[in-house]
Amino acid sequence: MIVQTALLIGLVLFSVLAVFLKDLIRAAISLAVASLLLGIIFFRLGASYAGVFEISVVAGLITVLFILTIALTNKAEEVRESRLANVIFPLFFVVFIAIDALVMKGLLQKIPALPSGPESGTFGEVLWKGRTLDLVGQIAVILAGVFSVLALFRKRDKHD
Amino acid sequence: MTNTWYLYLFFSAALLGAGLYALLAKRNLVRLFIAIEVIGKGVSLLLVATGFAKGNLLAAQAMVVTYIVIEVSLVATALAIIINITRHTKSLDVRKLARLKG
Repeated sequence: MIVQTALLIGLVLFSVLAVFLKDLIRAAISLAVASLLLGIIFFRLGASYAGVFEISVVAGLITVLFILTIALTNKAEEVRESRLANVIFPLFFVVFIAIDALVMKGLLQKIPALPSGPESGTFGEVLWKGRTLDLVGQIAVILAGVFSVLALFRKRDKHD
Repeated sequence: MTNTWYLYLFFSAALLGAGLYALLAKRNLVRLFIAIEVIGKGVSLLLVATGFAKGNLLAAQAMVVTYIVIEVSLVATALAIIINITRHTKSLDVRKLARLKG
């Protein structure tokens, strides 16, 4: 329980760092570390397949995409962020966490656990038989992503 | 629901809060997208934790895997759009997109 709580605190800490670090490369690396911690939390909950996807795809591939984008856009002029937003954030976050804790304390045992049927089979059976439509949707989304990236980076003709 | 589930709900809400604040306060396009990723992490954490608490971990995992696949496609497309925007406006500032003049 202590390890799990420490991992969750680390996840929130690195996510906040990812959003508020000034250097974008460091922000992307913080996001990767947050994904790694989330993957470890998934493993500890017994969700090994989600953990593998989280670590390999989100911490790996998406971080590479972010760093590539930051490298390709580093010649752009610097964005001036509002200093007030950075000053207010710690205050906002402390108040938010306090309200969050109070709400959770109030909610304890009040959300009923709805009955659910026992799960049977393996992850593969649930994914291929139970959620077949999701897989079709995933294939469609991947194809849409590939075609949209191709369209966005296509070379322009002379008469364009 | 078990007490452990409330702990996960608490941390998911914290991730959502941090991400939403950054979405409202930040102006850098890449940073805004990182904030969306943070919100997504909160949602996937809550999905798996709820699956764990209710004993439906396999279905929750299937949903998280679907979400991750969609996320990759979304990130690739959005980052390509960000690169194209930067080529046009020479800046990553989201306020420059308010100008509709080509």
